[in-house]
Order: sequence, then structure tokens, then C-alpha cells
Amino acid sequence: MRSKEPGMTLIVKTITRLTVGLILLYGIYIVLHGHISPGGGFAGGVIIALSFIHLMLAFGRDTALKKLSQTAASVLESLGALMFLSIAVLGFFGGYFFFNLFLHKGNPFELFSAGIIPLCNIAISLKVGAGLFAIFAVLVFFKGTGKEE
Amino acid sequence: MIEYILCFTLFCIGLYCVIRKRNIIKIIIGLGIIEYAVNLFFVLVGYRTHGRAPILAKDQLITNMVDPIPQALVLTSIVIGLAVTALIVAIAIRIYEKYGTFDITKIRRLRG
Repeated sequence: MRSKEPGMTLIVKTITRLTVGLILLYGIYIVLHGHISPGGGFAGGVIIALSFIHLMLAFGRDTALKKLSQTAASVLESLGALMFLSIAVLGFFGGYFFFNLFLHKGNPFELFSAGIIPLCNIAISLKVGAGLFAIFAVLVFFKGTGKEE
Repeated sequence: MIEYILCFTLFCIGLYCVIRKRNIIKIIIGLGIIEYAVNLFFVLVGYRTHGRAPILAKDQLITNMVDPIPQALVLTSIVIGLAVTALIVAIAIRIYEKYGTFDITKIRRLRG
């Protein structure tokens, strides 16, 4: 018996519905704690992208693209790059590239510390997460436009 | 010494996969194995016996830690490997679209 709606079976869909939010939250946790524990922008961004890829594998293309369309992914990716660049260039107000503009650096091993490094992590995670999701969406649902043999 | 030999064995498995297999997807998997072997080699070079990870943690005194520079290098290498793999997969998809096969012996347009 094959159901009409796209995607995998009911078991996969139920498990996905339970776990996909946890995966996304874990990715955000990895990003936000990037400056005090292992992880950081790239690893957290990959986990965030994997949550959307998980959604796409289980429910089919349309459900995942309704959550995060390819245009939105492209905009987020560019926003991450611009955010990282602007953080770097804003350092010229203090004198040089990547200058830490926050005068109070915070205490070590606290969440709100380390100046601009958490902001850089967030920018990198936006870039990596949206980029990886866009690469996967384009590769999996590639519609051939070239000449047929 | 045995770990370097095992690392080299892993590299040779990947090289065999790239040279001997005919399916493009298997060649891509072989390239991934080669990449992981090289990454493993870099991490092993920086290892020191009874060393711990070079991460500063609260209330801990680090006396003996492994070399952090190969680990940072390997992190960058993983990122580049991801991009390279995506590029190769895209090229493989275009080849399949053009020739209708993944077998490299049947792709004869460039021959001669």
C-alpha cells in the first residue's frame, strides 16, 4: 500500500517529527557555546543544516522548502558572509582589523564573554548552515536541463 | 609505529578504490577515504602520549596536552573536503545527465 503523499513511511515521519526540533536546538547550543567548549560556527552550522536535510529526507521536498525556501537560504548565506565581513571591518574604529570593540571582555568560561567571537560564530553558522542546505537541495533535486543523448 | 602503518593501509585502500573501480560514485567514496586517511595522519603526528585535548576548562591544570596546530589544520581540511566532495558530485551528476551512465569505460567522448 503506497500512500499518496510524498516522503517516507509513517514510522520515519513520526520519529522525524519528534527529533528534528531537538537536532536544531542542539545545533544552536553548539553555536552559542562555541567560544567556551568544543564546537563552534562550522560544526553547529552543519548540525542546523542536517536538521533541515532530515526534514527533507523524511517529508519530501516541498515540506522542507516551505520551512526554508531556496531564496531564503541564499539570503541567509549572503547575510552570514556580510555579517562576518562587517564585524571584521568595524574593527577599524578601534584601530585595526578584527579589533574587539567590546571594552568589557567578560569573565572566562561564561556564556556572555569573549567580545566579538560569539558574533563571528553566529555569522559562520548562518553561512555554513544555509549553504549546506542549498547544496543538498540543489544536488538531490537536480533537474537536467542539458542536451539528452 | 603500528598506527602509522594502519593509516597508510587506509590510504592504500582509498587509492585502490580510486584506481581500480569503474563506477564514479565508488571513485568519489575512495577520494573520501584518502582524505580521511590524511586527516588521521595529521592528528596522529600531533599526538603525545597521555596528552589531553588542548581546551582550557574551568578548575583544571593542563600539564600535558597534544599539539593543537594539526587539529586546527585538519578542521580546515575537513571544510575544504566538504566543498571538494560537493563539486565532484555535481560534476558526476552532469556526466550522468550527458552520458546516461556512471561507468567510466563507457564515457568515450573525450577519447583519442
